[in-house]
Amino acid sequence: MSSTSTYGVASKRAYVLAIAFILFFWQVAAWFLPSFLMPDVHVALVRLGQELTSSEFYAGLRNSMGRLGAGYGAALVAGVVLGLVGGTLNSVRSTLKAAIIILQSIPSIAWVPLFLILMGFGNTPIIVVVAIGAFFPTALSVMNATESVERVHIDAARVMGASRTQMLKRVYFPAVTPELITGAQLAFGNAWRALISAEMIVGFSAGLGKSLAYSGEIADMTGVMTNILVIAVLAAVIDQVILERIKYRLLRYQYV
Amino acid sequence: MKLHFERVSKSFGDLNVIDRFDNTIADGEIVALVGPSGCGKSTLLHMVAGLEQATHGRVQADDQDIERPSPKRTLVFQEHALYPWMTLLENVAVALEFQGQPAEHARNEASIWLERVKLAGFEGYYPHQVSGGMRQRCALARAFIARPQVLLLDEPFGALDALTRMTLQSVLKDLIEQERPTVVLVTHDVDEALYLADRVLVFSQRPARVMREVTLGHIPKTHDLTAFADVRREVLTLLGIDTDTDTTPSATQREAQGETS
Repeated sequence: MSSTSTYGVASKRAYVLAIAFILFFWQVAAWFLPSFLMPDVHVALVRLGQELTSSEFYAGLRNSMGRLGAGYGAALVAGVVLGLVGGTLNSVRSTLKAAIIILQSIPSIAWVPLFLILMGFGNTPIIVVVAIGAFFPTALSVMNATESVERVHIDAARVMGASRTQMLKRVYFPAVTPELITGAQLAFGNAWRALISAEMIVGFSAGLGKSLAYSGEIADMTGVMTNILVIAVLAAVIDQVILERIKYRLLRYQYV
Repeated sequence: MKLHFERVSKSFGDLNVIDRFDNTIADGEIVALVGPSGCGKSTLLHMVAGLEQATHGRVQADDQDIERPSPKRTLVFQEHALYPWMTLLENVAVALEFQGQPAEHARNEASIWLERVKLAGFEGYYPHQVSGGMRQRCALARAFIARPQVLLLDEPFGALDALTRMTLQSVLKDLIEQERPTVVLVTHDVDEALYLADRVLVFSQRPARVMREVTLGHIPKTHDLTAFADVRREVLTLLGIDTDTDTTPSATQREAQGETS
């Protein structure tokens, strides 16, 4: 218990230092560049304060989070299912894995033109692109973990008379959870990048990516930097606070 | 439950592990299989458990061919078989839940069994928080809770220190006497075999054949095995362990041959 909390404090301090460092470099750039190219940090922060009181900002945020939730959620479910099934079926495993490795090397944003035509202008292509970005790392990590579930854990369950469903639920799933979480955090990074880029390209209804692209189009660099700030802070909060907390809860047995 | 082996052979590819093994183990009998490591004893045990099939011959339980695992024939592994994500209580209860028994009943039974193996108070601990000896106590509780008719033990205490091992052997002996399953114990600890078993089968190097069968009978025993000194010496000699002070040179030679073969 004490070791984890020490680690927490150390990483918190590292975070504060890192943020200070990044803001410092931004400010240095702002001193050297004219203000219409690079706004001061405090100017962007004031703008952020204004944004936080506007209903437009929240509408965009809600849209983006909805797309992220739908795409990332679907990818996690599909990734776990395919990973578990693929990992237990020796015959298809290596082919499936090779296919995933090939497909995952395609940046998910590259699918946008195809999906725009296929699915029409709207939420769907963005959600699908987010899902594609998140699916592969999830499926791959679950599949790898499923392959390396300890033989003795499976044999013990078979000897105790476990059914196939019980085996998946009580043995395979908890056994792959540590790798699943690592994969899900990796998948979140992919999903987030896919979401912002797809919103910038597709530009359908309000959203974080669209707002950023729009600020760029009207040469509002304060708006650009404010949007980037929002995107960075949100990603850090989701990954480091929410996902870390879920990880701690699911892997509680490792921390006691 | 009676176990019957009829000309059982097992090979993995070209590797011949067991060669025409014949034996019958009576209901309630306690049989120990000792032999050099990698000689196929564990494979025999896995066949009784239904985890593996014989290449030739048949393995039967109560005159029925064994085709798949069954909770009637349960197996205790050397270690690491407890689920690290479950508490000790859950690890024991899961044996009943896997048989479709309601969770509440399973947990009540599990806490009774943890008490029987002297683990009361540790229900909420995870395996990595307790000692190796306590983990194996828990593994015994998990095996016995299903009231198996055949108990298979695959070097159950192999990873424990000598003192803990003897304590656990006593715990196991008591449980066997109370529950009376048929027991097949694989071990390379000759003292463990002599202490627990009614009958000891001494196996050769791969492919495994029975070199010697020693019947001890179901007699009260303690860890003081002086009465079995002769048997012990004979078994150890069969396994290539030096028991004679006069013939050190030839024993060294034998050892050297053993290593090269």
